[in-house]
Amino acid sequence: MTFETIKPHLPWITLLALVAVVGVMNDNFLRPANLLGMAAEIVPLFIMALGLTFVIYIGSIDLSAQSMANMITVIASVYLVTLGPWVALLCAVAGFGLGMLSGYVTTRLLVPSFISTLAVGGVAFSLAQWLSGQRALYMDAAQRNETFGWMIGTTASIPNELLIALALLLIALFVERRTTLGRALKAVGAGELAATASGLNVARVKMLAFAISGMLAALAGLLFAVKLSGGAPTIANGFLLPAIVAVLVGGTPLTGGVGGVVNTAIGVLIVAVIRSSMVYFGIDATQQQMVFGLVLIAAIALTIDRAKLRTVK
Amino acid sequence: MSTSASDTAAQGRVAMQQTRAFRRPSRETLIRWAPLLVLIALVVVFTAINPAFLSLRNFGRIAIASTPALMVAIGVTFIIVMGSIDLSMEGTIAVCACVFAYFFLSWGGTLLSTAWVAIPLTLLLGAVLGLLNGLVHVLLRIPSFMASLAMGFVGIGLAILITRGEKFLIEDEVFRGLVTYRVLGFPIMVYLALAALVVAWFIQSYTRLGRNFYAVGGGEELAHASGLDVRRVRVMGFMLAGVFYALAALFAVGRLGVAESVSGANFMFVSITSVVVGGVALWGGIGGVWNALVGVLIVNVINNGMVVIGLPDFLQDGVLGFLVIVAVVLSTDRRSVSFVK
Repeated sequence: MTFETIKPHLPWITLLALVAVVGVMNDNFLRPANLLGMAAEIVPLFIMALGLTFVIYIGSIDLSAQSMANMITVIASVYLVTLGPWVALLCAVAGFGLGMLSGYVTTRLLVPSFISTLAVGGVAFSLAQWLSGQRALYMDAAQRNETFGWMIGTTASIPNELLIALALLLIALFVERRTTLGRALKAVGAGELAATASGLNVARVKMLAFAISGMLAALAGLLFAVKLSGGAPTIANGFLLPAIVAVLVGGTPLTGGVGGVVNTAIGVLIVAVIRSSMVYFGIDATQQQMVFGLVLIAAIALTIDRAKLRTVK
Repeated sequence: MSTSASDTAAQGRVAMQQTRAFRRPSRETLIRWAPLLVLIALVVVFTAINPAFLSLRNFGRIAIASTPALMVAIGVTFIIVMGSIDLSMEGTIAVCACVFAYFFLSWGGTLLSTAWVAIPLTLLLGAVLGLLNGLVHVLLRIPSFMASLAMGFVGIGLAILITRGEKFLIEDEVFRGLVTYRVLGFPIMVYLALAALVVAWFIQSYTRLGRNFYAVGGGEELAHASGLDVRRVRVMGFMLAGVFYALAALFAVGRLGVAESVSGANFMFVSITSVVVGGVALWGGIGGVWNALVGVLIVNVINNGMVVIGLPDFLQDGVLGFLVIVAVVLSTDRRSVSFVK
């Protein structure tokens, strides 16, 4: 049994091991209420990571996800009054459109994705500041409860956020496993040149991956805005790092091609356990960045497929 | 008959190519001079809209704002010339600024005492952080953009650990003289930054290390085949960049008189934008520290000019994002790139 044979199983082994260790040290940790609360807490991050999975799966990266979510919290807060429930559609379309823009710039204008998404993130940040007038915004509590209250309620003592997360996971899983787009994404992730040679419209597939990422980042922002009942241009800062960490520790490498949305679900749970255990061990919330930065390096080093990188730039 | 016809056609083509070359400067020339032309055009436009833009006072303001950014841009230029990228500057600057302020304050709090030791110490620290960055990238064989992004997050966390969320205030008049003491209208730190630029130019053009950066950026496999220790050059590049980030940290603290965990905030976006807009190709091998200077000036002239002509400052990130895309598109030789990630 070599490392390569257990590598695909590492994510869930890590998750079980972490849960066991933390469970032994902290009696409260394994109580169902605690586990449910912990899982519900992480849902906006999960939705963002779910979108990022598609982009990382094709070997690209989306650094605009956090700015996108920031911008959407502002849009949701500003337009809830006039649009009511339709604001959700506006958010999804805005996310899809800006994601598509990143994809266009990457594939048609040949700008590497980490630069194109950084730039689109800058555009989103400007939009957010312009719309918000550089202030924190608050939703009208009554209107929020009437329109989006269902998002943060509970059904049979299960938080609705978890049900939303599950529904999105199933849709994403369907797209990944049962649609031509999913197969095309796999082909592009496994080898872009081969996919092009097979007659696949690679540019279109990649643009759609960025658009999906943008849309899910927008939904993450919307849910976050509803939870906090407001928005601001920097409110979701701190999402990007754990979201990328979640995708990578889940087992979707930066080089793409393997892994997928189920892996990301496991990865997000790993992040959630690490987070709550850090809180339990008294590690300050601001220190989490440092831990996640180190976890990120370890996760990339373990998962990346070096055969795909001719030179490591 | 058929040969002479094709000869004539060939001659015609050559003639056409010659006239085209005469009418239009070559792609390389255009890319080389475009950033400078853009800078001049921006100055002309802003001056036309508001003549107050073209004053020594305002240029002093632009120069002060540009100084820390120029140091970061020079550092990252070395990395981009190698074809890599470094996104760790926000963390490195934050750690350097906080460590500097901590020791500066605890060793006397004024440049005239032993506290000056904090300055070389900070430069050394920058080199060590850059070294770590390079080692993570090279030894673990992780793409540099991700290795450095992660190390940047670690750096910011470290800075929070050092400051515990507090701010360090540096009120020493001698150290703040960097920005308050002016010669010919510009503060001393602007001259120091220009001196650092000349040093960087010397390293780039007249040292073996500097030439090796271009060898790696121009074609890593060829450089390796020629017997160059590419991994060593990469690590050295990140170390050198770290020293310049440390300089940026010193100037940033000197400029504001404050060191805190967010001292490095926004330097990543601005410096990468500057370098790329200045004409350093992301693919490596093209451009240098003078491009970094022009790029930093373009970005800061835009930032300053937008305020001077009365546009809201929140448009800046959007405008810069747009600019960086245009710059990358213009500098990409589309024939040589088959696909990008």
